[in-house]
Amino acid sequence: MYLDMHSHSVSSDDSRATVEQYVKWIQVLRKRGHTVDGIVLTEHRKFDFDKDYSDLASQYDVLILKGSELDTRYGHFLVYGVTQALTQAIDFGDVRMDARALMQAARQHDAIALPAHPGRFGIGLTDYIAKGETFDDVTIVEQFNGGSRPGENERADELCESHNLLGIGGSDAHLTSHIATCMTDFEASIKTANDLVDALLSKEFQPVWLENVVDGASS
Amino acid sequence: MAMELEYDRSLYGVEHIAGPFEITDEIIDRANTSTGESGAAFKSDEGAKEAGYRGRIAPPTLPCILVRQVSLPDVKVKFGKTQMHAGQRVEPKAPVYAGDQLTASSHLKDVYAKTGRSGTMVFVVWETTFTNQDGTVVAEVQESFAKRE
Repeated sequence: MYLDMHSHSVSSDDSRATVEQYVKWIQVLRKRGHTVDGIVLTEHRKFDFDKDYSDLASQYDVLILKGSELDTRYGHFLVYGVTQALTQAIDFGDVRMDARALMQAARQHDAIALPAHPGRFGIGLTDYIAKGETFDDVTIVEQFNGGSRPGENERADELCESHNLLGIGGSDAHLTSHIATCMTDFEASIKTANDLVDALLSKEFQPVWLENVVDGASS
Repeated sequence: MAMELEYDRSLYGVEHIAGPFEITDEIIDRANTSTGESGAAFKSDEGAKEAGYRGRIAPPTLPCILVRQVSLPDVKVKFGKTQMHAGQRVEPKAPVYAGDQLTASSHLKDVYAKTGRSGTMVFVVWETTFTNQDGTVVAEVQESFAKRE
């Protein structure tokens, strides 16, 4: 199934897109022949425990999961499977947290944290690795990011190749029409955030671009 | 090492009142000119009444201009050297009519840090509610300022 692993709604300070606008746009994409099964809302520096999108999800037949995108001193990290215990262990608003501590805390609380847009110039993981930092717990990165500038996804490709990392895809949408521009194709059937963590741990997935996902198949 | 933001937290929960702002025909004319507004309801009483209003109305973005006349205290954020205006958003709640007297009530909503391509920045967010002479809330404006390293 195809999930957009990285998106921001109005709950993030820099997005103007509502979740309803996203799911409506997904209907447009489906009419154009694309397959989009769901999205993960990864709001900046927080997790929206109080937000319930189940009505929208069922009305539009779109899986809507919640995650987070956290700022760290080694760039932004996507977190899936967030729990209350994790938010108590880690200050989600701390923009200078150590990403390594975040990754370890995430696993201790049955979640998973991985680098977002690692090829991003200036703040991507590739720049920190080039400076000599090591990240032994990184096995998956966001290889395809819909908000990347020219060259940045290519740097992520090189990182995956050189470090034998797996890749996911996410649109990083902040605007309605950007949703699902890239996604992740999972072998597993995913219904919950816990399923998503398990699917990531299974290593059976690949990043895809929307234009290559037509009629339920990716090329 | 966590990033501890230093600023005047005593400002939370304090409302800063400003006004009244009298909405004159001249102010509406200027707002129309600056935004290229040409709708009949914004130009005259007659045009507004035809559109179902009781009189001439101001463009819904007028509070974005008025909010710049509200004097707000220094949050005293100890971060960076450069400060810039980082954006506004307005939510119109009710029509603003020519002749209205608006009052602004502002409070500190949030101070937070974020990182991005430009490095680390600290955002200060103020929220201002505009109320007319009848006590009706006509608009809510959120305004952000950013400080960067």
